[in-house]
Amino acid sequence: MLGIVELGLFLAFGLMRPDMPMALHLPSFWWKLVSLGLIALVSGAVAILSLNPIRSPRVGLRWVLVLMVLSLTVGWMIDASHGDYGTLLVRLHWRDGLRCLCTIVALSVPPVAGLGLLMRRGAPTDRGGTAMAAGFAAAAWGAFVFVFACPFDDPFYVFVWYSLACTTVTVFAGIALPRLTRW
Amino acid sequence: MTVVRRPPARSEANRNRDWDALMAAAQRGDAAAYRRLLSEVAVWLRPYYSRRLPPAMIDDVIQDTLVAIHEKRHTYDPSRPFGAWLAAIARYKWIDALRSLENCPKEILDDHIAVPCHEEAITSAWSLEQLLSTLKPAQSQAIRLVKLQGFSIDEASKATGQSATLVKVNIHRGLKRLAAMLRSETDTD
Repeated sequence: MLGIVELGLFLAFGLMRPDMPMALHLPSFWWKLVSLGLIALVSGAVAILSLNPIRSPRVGLRWVLVLMVLSLTVGWMIDASHGDYGTLLVRLHWRDGLRCLCTIVALSVPPVAGLGLLMRRGAPTDRGGTAMAAGFAAAAWGAFVFVFACPFDDPFYVFVWYSLACTTVTVFAGIALPRLTRW
Repeated sequence: MTVVRRPPARSEANRNRDWDALMAAAQRGDAAAYRRLLSEVAVWLRPYYSRRLPPAMIDDVIQDTLVAIHEKRHTYDPSRPFGAWLAAIARYKWIDALRSLENCPKEILDDHIAVPCHEEAITSAWSLEQLLSTLKPAQSQAIRLVKLQGFSIDEASKATGQSATLVKVNIHRGLKRLAAMLRSETDTD
């Protein structure tokens, strides 16, 4: 619910990319959107289900990892089929990339806080696993919201900067949430 | 060989069913059911933690577990068994307690622990044994029992088969002989 409010506010503030009609025809745009949306939904469900003490998040986390590998494989296939993006260094666009990274991290804060609150109210008995699932979910949701604003559709760019942003959020959640949600 | 089947297995199943019903009632606000459930759970938790934790920690961990059950009771799904839910929380609190042990202050023991010197005691015992071995067996036995092991004359008499008078005589003669030996050794030195 909090995530949907965040997405609504993000779009209401007019932050959607101006070339959205064109982007809707690009496979890489749909790859970003569907992959991140799926990862966010699955890992979010895993995190919430594991708030019951008798449910372990470990099996769900394995499925999330499988989903990530599948997403990266599809991204690599899209990248390979295109092939005219230029050299890797140019494709990084590191200034824009850093901005993307910071925005994704900022967009992940509300879902991390929301899931942290749920963790505190729930009774997870594998706090590390639940925190990891919550981190994946929050990071993927932050990136999913950002997909609507990000003008870069190059799979290599998305892989590097989105992965960095998601890793940052997940590591933070993995370290902070178990301490904050001790019960 | 006769295999004895455990009759408590059935009562365990019954108990689990009772707990399911009690917890469901507690969630609906039945305070009496909740009190009964917690007291039964506390009894169940004691042997559970006794097998896993140092005795000094057991009461605290049982208390922590009961508090956790109370605070997280809304996460219990009445369609699922309460026993599994309880076991998951108890295990979690056990792991938490084990982790807390790491933070307890520890005393590091030296490789070499100082102990009092036994040399004098060993030398005395050996010397006494040597002296007693020079006496007649009946005398040394009477001295050993009465003067060293604290037997009464009657007890020593029963133990050795000597009459009470003979025990006394043997002790007297034995001690006299030991004294004479020690004197003569001192004179020689």
